Amino acid sequence: MSQEHSSSRSSVSRIDASVSLPVRLFIISSILWLLVASVLSLIVALKLQVPSFLSDCAWFTYGRLEVLQRNAFIYGWASNALFALNLWIMSSLARFELKSSWLPVLGGLVWNLTLTYGLIQVLLGQLNGFALLEMPKEVAPAMVVAFLFAALWPAVAFARRPTGNVFVSQWYIIGATFVFPVITVVAQLMLLWCPTLGVMQALVHSWFYQNLILLWLGGSALSAIYYFIAKESGRTISAYYLATVGFWTYFLFASWTGPATLLGAPIPVWLQSVGVVAALMMLVPIVITAVNFFGTLAPRSGIAQSWNNTTLRFVLVGTVSFIVSALLSVVFSTRSLNALVRFTEFTQAQEHLAVYSFVSMVIFGAAYYILPRLTGSFWPSAKLVHLHFWASTLGSLLFVVAGLNHGWAAHGRTDFAVSALPGLVAAALLFVGHFAFALNAFGMLTAEEAPSSRRSY
Amino acid sequence: MKNLNLILAGVFFTLAASFGGLLLSGQVQLGQLNRAPAEEGGPLFPAKEPGLAIQGRQVYISLGCVACHTQQVRPAGQGNDIARGWAARPSVARDYILQSQVLIGSHRLGPDLVNYGARVKSDDELHTYLRTSVAGSVMPAYGFLYTQSKDGSFRPTEDAVALVAYLKSLKIDYSSPEAKLKQ
Repeated sequence: MSQEHSSSRSSVSRIDASVSLPVRLFIISSILWLLVASVLSLIVALKLQVPSFLSDCAWFTYGRLEVLQRNAFIYGWASNALFALNLWIMSSLARFELKSSWLPVLGGLVWNLTLTYGLIQVLLGQLNGFALLEMPKEVAPAMVVAFLFAALWPAVAFARRPTGNVFVSQWYIIGATFVFPVITVVAQLMLLWCPTLGVMQALVHSWFYQNLILLWLGGSALSAIYYFIAKESGRTISAYYLATVGFWTYFLFASWTGPATLLGAPIPVWLQSVGVVAALMMLVPIVITAVNFFGTLAPRSGIAQSWNNTTLRFVLVGTVSFIVSALLSVVFSTRSLNALVRFTEFTQAQEHLAVYSFVSMVIFGAAYYILPRLTGSFWPSAKLVHLHFWASTLGSLLFVVAGLNHGWAAHGRTDFAVSALPGLVAAALLFVGHFAFALNAFGMLTAEEAPSSRRSY
Repeated sequence: MKNLNLILAGVFFTLAASFGGLLLSGQVQLGQLNRAPAEEGGPLFPAKEPGLAIQGRQVYISLGCVACHTQQVRPAGQGNDIARGWAARPSVARDYILQSQVLIGSHRLGPDLVNYGARVKSDDELHTYLRTSVAGSVMPAYGFLYTQSKDGSFRPTEDAVALVAYLKSLKIDYSSPEAKLKQ
């Protein structure tokens, strides 16, 4: 099958060809990290079911493996994949041919090597207590520099675009790319290099964490949703004039929501209230993006058509998850409800909904669109695509529903009974899905060269 | 919205606004907190940490204990932390000012530890718990923190001694100007 299709290598556009090398590097590294993170989540889930599993050695304590899993997933999988997505989407929208592709490649290599070094240090016990800043402090400067090399190119593409045209995806990419280095530098300085006093650290961390998840990961993924919904459905975004308001309100309010994750913590109550207000104001961008996305897809049985399109099917699950996760955050940032579910599996499930069901599903959908255009060949197996979709969707659905249910049931109880089995089954399902995805992707990336060499062009 | 600089300036403004509004104003309010006596002329709280406890915090961080244990007790009416007997009063910002890394945590698979030092009875009890855990608990035994000598008794490693000293130093059993213990 791949023989016929890869003969059309000229079908790879010049723009795609110019970003091919860095995008491939980012996607390959992201898939490898995804596999690492999936194995780690299996082990972590197993440790909750069988606490004595791998407990004889300090290296494999639950605390350290959870840190490894989270960092491998966010920095290894999601960030690498978003480097690829942002670069590819921006190049294609801005008609940008990347001349010096070795620069993002260098950035990607440094990023991944630094991450590997940092995670090994964590495994050996050199870690900090702040989620997603656990790696030793010497790692961050290298990662910020690597980020600039790897992720700056969309901004260059935007600045040099030949026409004045602009699309909402481009704003989100520029914004998300700007946010990451700024918040990382600020948080590193205020937490690890010159630590602030007492609970200020918790406040700084919540600001960093919410910006990282909502703006860097969420902002990039929203850009991809806008792009692929318009591109694959062939329709114009409905109520497009609202998208500007959506973009600005999203960035404005999301960056204030940090304290809403600290309700009841020993920080000043007025700061918590500011966080809650910002969390409620997030309704504005949620409603606008929902109108944009579903207003575009819903008429003329667009949802049914999207369901038959691989990319849109993944993106649709991601979009629904975005809306649900954002609405859950709004509802459960009210003090009384938050008090019931804070510290429980409920918040874990909410986070999974955001970083997996929303961001990762959108990335999967985008990868199914981008990779064939880069390689000029088709996905080797449609069965594996189906397996991936259903394993990922059902696995994350199981994880989220079980977590929400368990966290909700835990309020008022005084024991710590953890129902670890759904989490374990979910982790196994996700692993199967990711393995299928990796098999398909690597099959495609390695097979494309073979036929042409056999035919000796 | 076609201009790169305009978008960058706007995004910079949104970040700068939240940075100033949350972090700078937080720093103004919290950055100058000092130790305070529970009553006029009394000893200052929070008490200085023993050196061994400072080492123990590193062990606590390095084993990733914060993944399952929080160190914050919410006020009555916001959750049932006080009703669960974790502390007699909510934790306040002043309790944390001497800690090099604040580990208030965000997820509970086990009890809150902010006042654990006041709840635990003896070092031996804590060592036995760490070495063997208890049936039905999701927390595994941390056997690698102990070595067995020839007569079959267990000796804690330096890490275990420091960790226990740290856990015993976690106390909010004093009155603070912001949160008095009920008489």
